[in-house]
Amino acid sequence: MQEQEKYFNELVQKYSEPLYWHVRSLVGGHEDTDDLLQEIFVKVWKALPGFRGDSDVFTWLWRIATNEALSHLRKARVRAALSFSSLEGQAERISDPDPYFDGDAALRNLRKALLKLPDKQRLVFAMRYWQDLSYERISEITGTSVGALKASYHIAYEKVKQFLTNPD
Amino acid sequence: MKKELPYSTPSGYFDSLKSRLSTIPESKSRFNFVPYFALAVSFALLVMLGNFILTKSLASQPASDEEIIEYLIDSGTTLAQLEDASYNY
Repeated sequence: MQEQEKYFNELVQKYSEPLYWHVRSLVGGHEDTDDLLQEIFVKVWKALPGFRGDSDVFTWLWRIATNEALSHLRKARVRAALSFSSLEGQAERISDPDPYFDGDAALRNLRKALLKLPDKQRLVFAMRYWQDLSYERISEITGTSVGALKASYHIAYEKVKQFLTNPD
Repeated sequence: MKKELPYSTPSGYFDSLKSRLSTIPESKSRFNFVPYFALAVSFALLVMLGNFILTKSLASQPASDEEIIEYLIDSGTTLAQLEDASYNY
């Protein structure tokens, strides 16, 4: 048990910050990311006894985090649907006064464009564009084929480009 | 497009995050007896309530002579047993 706790703390020290940025690139807001990080590491702790190292620790952690983030986004969509408002509209209202957003107008528009993408396209875009992960690595994490990821990224990139050219 | 996430965090955030996350094993390993205690109390209350209702209903409706006779016949109690019982009584 102590060995497990020691290993868990090593994971926290080494990966909590990069995982934060991974989740933040998908979710957007600081508060949501902070809540998700707590949930992710609770899952990591519970799953640790079953982790046999079949996949490397990076892939394992990123898979847990990605699933949590996607689940959070799905719930947000359902909540938005139940409150009869669009998620994009909500996201824009949330993103505009975000005190932890450092970008200029162009980056703000990029953020808005990303919030409009479907979850899977946003995921592949964030992992390729912001995190510079290879398609092979993303494929290991998401369980999606490299070909499908390339197609998703291409579509996402075109949508973002179109939005940035004509934001209205 | 610049490839740098345009986000920041509150100052000292990652230090506090790491110390918060490090407490997860302790909080999750602690045996949480509250649900088990609540379950035991609920079960005890249910038994007490059932016992109370049963006692009340039996006490408020004493069996009539006819019912006692019917019971004795149905249960196959013999006259000899009845005589023994009344003799012992």
